[in-house]
Amino acid sequence: MNHKELIASMAIKLNAPKSVVADLLDVTVATCTELLVDEKTIGFQSFGNFEVRKKEERLSVHPATQIRTLIPPKLVVSFKQSNILKEKLKDLPHNE
Amino acid sequence: MNKGKISSQEVIDLVSSKSMVSKRVAEEFLKAMISSIEEALLSGEVVRIKNFGAFKLQWNEPRKSVNVQTGEEILLSGYHKVVFTPDTILRDAVNEPFAHLTPVELESENPEPIQESTEVGLDPLRIFTDQATEIKDLINEIQALSPKTKAVPTKKDEVLLEETDEPDEVFVDKIEEDQKVIADVPLEHEKIASHEDEFEPLHEKIVIGKPVDSIFSPESKKENLEPEAFESIDNSIPEFESTPFLKDLESPKRQKAWLWVLIVVLLLGASGFGLYFFCPPVTSFADKCKTNITKAAESMSFTETLNTISGWFASKPKPVPAIKTVVIPKDTADNDSIEKKEAVDSLQLLFDNPRIYKQFIATETIEPGNRLTLMAKKYYGNKDFWVYIYEANRAKIPNPDRIAQGTLIKIPKLDSRLIDATNPRCIKKAKELHDVYVNN
Repeated sequence: MNHKELIASMAIKLNAPKSVVADLLDVTVATCTELLVDEKTIGFQSFGNFEVRKKEERLSVHPATQIRTLIPPKLVVSFKQSNILKEKLKDLPHNE
Repeated sequence: MNKGKISSQEVIDLVSSKSMVSKRVAEEFLKAMISSIEEALLSGEVVRIKNFGAFKLQWNEPRKSVNVQTGEEILLSGYHKVVFTPDTILRDAVNEPFAHLTPVELESENPEPIQESTEVGLDPLRIFTDQATEIKDLINEIQALSPKTKAVPTKKDEVLLEETDEPDEVFVDKIEEDQKVIADVPLEHEKIASHEDEFEPLHEKIVIGKPVDSIFSPESKKENLEPEAFESIDNSIPEFESTPFLKDLESPKRQKAWLWVLIVVLLLGASGFGLYFFCPPVTSFADKCKTNITKAAESMSFTETLNTISGWFASKPKPVPAIKTVVIPKDTADNDSIEKKEAVDSLQLLFDNPRIYKQFIATETIEPGNRLTLMAKKYYGNKDFWVYIYEANRAKIPNPDRIAQGTLIKIPKLDSRLIDATNPRCIKKAKELHDVYVNN
């Protein structure tokens, strides 16, 4: 499901034109991005938490060439699903 | 508040205020968004949101674990996990504070232990001869550069040198600091020579002024001692480095070394004396300084003289390191050359030792169009290093120019210094080997 399909499904649910939904989604995304840039945690009830985590610098060694590289620290967005969502996903069958 | 959880209600408020819609609409919208994403995920789809990221389901296998308290084994059931991969835009925006950092390639750590081993293997006698030549060079350079070496400090050097057993350790830190200072102040030799004329008088002033402040302040005396002590400290650097080895060795050798150093220092002092007394410009200048100081001493009160004397050190911290640099750069230069020599030696050792190929990083099959040089380019970064692949596979390759198709070639793991494409010596060596093998 890509951006457009998501907007379409939401438009049906909200019974609203797609353009309005698209605008709202853009604003939501922009808001969330701003909040995350401020290193804030966003918690959506029954869905999960978006969090910014700092990955410390580390040394990596190329297995073939043995070149050692210092990877600098970085900030990444991590998502942790809520338990409610996890319970819902439990019913899903998994195919190996 | 930097950290703090923003609830969905707050997001709703922000969205409603930004897009000029009522909070109710925003809330409904957010709910619809979350439920849509959930539904899509439940149906096993990947949800992508432009500029934000993608949600995906990941199946985590059931795994065994142990109850920490009872030691019982438990089976944790597998579960689905929602994985969020941020979009590049979001990722870069969040990582803004660290965006300027890039991965840095580090030199391999291998060279260091090998160098140490070569150092250990050095003949102690060689160390002494090195020192001797070093000191000789030092004297020559001092004599050539500064005809104004003073006799007074050299005597102190002797005293210091005789006590260096412990002071060595005390001074090492200082030396390191000073070397840092020197590294920070990149003075070229010529520059030093030109500056010397400016700083040397000052140094002499200090020397002359010393009797005064030795009476007045022990602090300034200490400071005064420092620059003079440097010559001796520098002489004793190699001494200190070699002491670990020396401790195990007989003391006579050590005494010999001391004799050497003493003789050298005496020579230095004698030359300084001679120059001081027989060079008319120096003596006249020194007299001038003396009169200046005595005048100053007369005109100033006790405390004022003290201040000025300490001011020489406090207000002119740069000239003092500069005086140090007059002596030290030669020494550091010598150290550098020694280090270089060692590096070169280890390279030469690498070249001269028969290479043993035990570790291999890959295997390649010879096919039409696949050549040793291409492999070398691929694995070592320079086609000239093909000779090492050939060496490792010599048993299978009768003629490096014609290799049977289907031959399995093992790519050996080589010392990174041996295949340093930026080092012309490595390439030269490889080319020499190339000539040897191709002409055979």
